[in-house]
Amino acid sequence: MHLPHSTLKQEFVKKWIMGLQRCKFSNKNMSILERKKAIKLSADTAMASARKGLTCWSRALISNPDRPVPTTTRRASSACKKIVKRSRRIRRTAKCGAARKGQITRSIAQCLVRKRTQILKSLIPGGEFMNEVCLIEETLDYITSLRVQVDVMRSLASASARASEPHN
Amino acid sequence: MSSRRWRESSRTNISDEQITQLLSALRQLLPEIPHSHSRKASSAAEVLKQTCNYIKTLHREVDDLSDRLSQLLATIDADSAEAAIIRSLLI
Repeated sequence: MHLPHSTLKQEFVKKWIMGLQRCKFSNKNMSILERKKAIKLSADTAMASARKGLTCWSRALISNPDRPVPTTTRRASSACKKIVKRSRRIRRTAKCGAARKGQITRSIAQCLVRKRTQILKSLIPGGEFMNEVCLIEETLDYITSLRVQVDVMRSLASASARASEPHN
Repeated sequence: MSSRRWRESSRTNISDEQITQLLSALRQLLPEIPHSHSRKASSAAEVLKQTCNYIKTLHREVDDLSDRLSQLLATIDADSAEAAIIRSLLI
């Protein structure tokens, strides 16, 4: 399922150029914001379609490309901070045995893992429907694809910057 | 073991080994963090935290690059020689 970086890159570039041409880039009447949205949408669609329907995240992204980027919920991290603070108070004031300390550590870890899994599910397209194993597998693939996307976009940005420099 | 905590919190029949292997694969993908502890993230909670932060960083980079490209590409006509140069540089 995991493609080598160069193959994925070629697929992405091919799909992205097709997408950019389709959204009529030569239209001078586009505002900067419209152009940015078009670039981002075509890049995300190209990244997803380069996976050829083999992953959940890519199918989810293609079917819902305009999903809002989730903002971090402060509630999740503050709940865990409260638990950590409470446990530190317990450890300081009471004479805890080793078993009690172990129990506290385990419950903190469980809480943190639970909260962070929720955050990760909100970051991966279609993540809310995945179990833990599927979520990590999809995350591995999604990160690899995101890196390719950033790589290519960066190359295009520096190539465009060079091309638009005045010739000596 | 951190994978056991994940299993306890999810209450499904997933093997520890499977989760451990996947978490270590994820750990390999994460970038080295400068100015942090010398040892890499070892617990599931830490790996998840760094993964979420990394994905948010990548999303922000894509957003910034889209911004930059929208300004740069505004000055380029699709049919011009410059577009041809850029296409050849990409492939």
